[in-house]
Amino acid sequence: MHSVKAGTIKMTHTRVSSFLVALLGAALVGCSSMGVEPWQRDVLAKEEMQLITDPVEASIDDHIYFSKEASSGGRGFGGGGCGCN
Amino acid sequence: MESFKSKSISAALATATCTLLGTSVAAPVLAQEEPAWVFNTALLYYGEADGRIQDGSVKGLVQRRFVDDRVLSIGFAVDALTGATPNGAIPFDGVQTFTAPSGESTYKTAPGDMPKDDSFQDVRASLTVNWSQPLGRLFTINAGLSGSSEFDYTHYGANLGFTRDLNKRNTTLSLGIAASRDAISPVGGVPIPFSSMLDRSKQREDGPRPPNRTGDQTKDVYDVVFGVTQVVNRNLLVQLDYSLSASSGYLNDPYKILSLVDAVTGDPLPRTPVPGKKGPVHQYRYENRPDSHVKQSFYGQAKLFMGGKVLDASYRFMTDDWGIHSHTVDTHFRVPFTNGNYLEPHFRYYTQTAADFYQISLVDGTQAFTFASADYRLGDFDAFTVGLKYGWKSRFGKEMSLRLEYYKQNGNAPAEQVIGNQAGRVLYPDLDAIIAQFSYQFEL
Amino acid sequence: MARKRGLDRAIRNTFLLAVFALMGTGSAAEPPFDVAQYHGKVVVVDFWASWCVPCRRSFPWLNQMYNKYAADGLVIIGIDTDTNADDATEFLRDFPPDFKIVYDPTGMLAGQYGIEAMPTSFVINRRGEIVASHLGFRVKKQHEYEQVIRDALSESGHD
Repeated sequence: MHSVKAGTIKMTHTRVSSFLVALLGAALVGCSSMGVEPWQRDVLAKEEMQLITDPVEASIDDHIYFSKEASSGGRGFGGGGCGCN
Repeated sequence: MESFKSKSISAALATATCTLLGTSVAAPVLAQEEPAWVFNTALLYYGEADGRIQDGSVKGLVQRRFVDDRVLSIGFAVDALTGATPNGAIPFDGVQTFTAPSGESTYKTAPGDMPKDDSFQDVRASLTVNWSQPLGRLFTINAGLSGSSEFDYTHYGANLGFTRDLNKRNTTLSLGIAASRDAISPVGGVPIPFSSMLDRSKQREDGPRPPNRTGDQTKDVYDVVFGVTQVVNRNLLVQLDYSLSASSGYLNDPYKILSLVDAVTGDPLPRTPVPGKKGPVHQYRYENRPDSHVKQSFYGQAKLFMGGKVLDASYRFMTDDWGIHSHTVDTHFRVPFTNGNYLEPHFRYYTQTAADFYQISLVDGTQAFTFASADYRLGDFDAFTVGLKYGWKSRFGKEMSLRLEYYKQNGNAPAEQVIGNQAGRVLYPDLDAIIAQFSYQFEL
Repeated sequence: MARKRGLDRAIRNTFLLAVFALMGTGSAAEPPFDVAQYHGKVVVVDFWASWCVPCRRSFPWLNQMYNKYAADGLVIIGIDTDTNADDATEFLRDFPPDFKIVYDPTGMLAGQYGIEAMPTSFVINRRGEIVASHLGFRVKKQHEYEQVIRDALSESGHD
């Protein structure tokens, strides 16, 4: 009798929790000393250094791979760049 | 119909995220110029070998920038699809006949060939609108709507996102949520799961529904993504994201079937069409998937500036409650030339495990399944993409690029599911595809 | 300017200003920038860079302020933090300033002033005290920024 694996959810629950804690930890603790001064963001301001350089191309790829594979998305948004204002 | 559509909110969010949120959030403002209007357009050709899917499309993103980092983004896409797609039945030494989704015609598969449904053509149009603006100095908000429509499928969605900067903007926290409702009205009606593929019959417009069909269905998808972006040093930017996607409702592919086979030989069981009618000469059953699907992804990306060249590398791990997990490694390496043109090789590797209910065929009598699907996209396969992109600026300063890529999927049928004569046949429809894209950007 | 700091901030600013002035007169490596020479005038010190889009938005406004209030004793000094002065050349060609430009390629001045955003402006009154600063430049806040300059200009410069 085939049915949806409940064990998978349980197993990933602890993985999820640890990952979220790690993310938050990284954000609030580890990252406070990392980085550059606001006037040192010349490289980060470049177009080719943005997390998504070409949004139309990124959306094309996401659409192709979503249609042909069982995974999709996962990417976030925001951050990087010139950090102005 | 081939699932070349924005079925889930993940795709819509990804589409929304990637087309809209990625450039319209206040922080990564382009420094070179500040035009009021930015147009980003692309022509795409996607073509698979063996007479399979071909897609031609026009896509665009229009951004209108208002004072103090407020941006309105409008994205659109029009796709025209044609070609054949594997229908889930397995190859066989004899001729196989199938009733087309409309129920009004049949198509045949030659002996030994992978059965493919070639009876569809479709045009899909989609639209996304997004607004982004700062809220206070270190906070931004964005909100958007999306919609798409094709012959048998409609999608509506909404999304909301926030970012918060910390540590002199070296750290950015982001949160995005999205919800969508999709309506599925397949050609010929929604098949009852595990019902048989019937003979061809001419449908009267207002006639009774065939016995193996039900009414139109819907699907709801909710997504959330949480991310941290961190400037490591002057040349290195990293991002980590966690996302959760929950779908519920009708998650089946209404056009996919499974072959009903003999327990010993593994050959499709024969069937005789009703006298006077045309129809399948073997037995096939429509697939069934759970009505709930929860996916989680862990994603990390790094962008490294190397004296002019830029390395972009990302990794994603996905796991879901259908037993599928996948790994994706994606890398781009941009090499600029002195005249401002650039070359960008691309390599992507993808691997996934099969869904728990992935079945290459159904054995009559001895097995009883709640869920089963032979859709190759739920199978066990590896894939890679290799590509090259060349970018340049026209005489008038317009940015253009040309990208050519090759995408290959190699799949494996689970060894324990192979029965008898199936062993000698190709059970997974490997994929070979070409991606060609021309992009044109201009500003006003 | 939007932010008027408390007493400790004023003390810190004055200290920084002193360090700043001392650096200007004492160091051989940096181009001399002596704030003391502007005593009696209102000085706006604006940190900018060629890759900073809000800086592009602020330059026309800075020019407008300078042309409007120079006769009343306003001095504007734009401090460029580009590591390479050539990057600034194109920016300055697109947005020619009527005010003085000073170069800070190592970011020493920016560091001493504790810059937390690009651009950042400080308003220094006629007595040499930093009375206000604003992080970033918002087109919609131009009138607020201008009001702070007017307030500083209307103050008496004598102790």
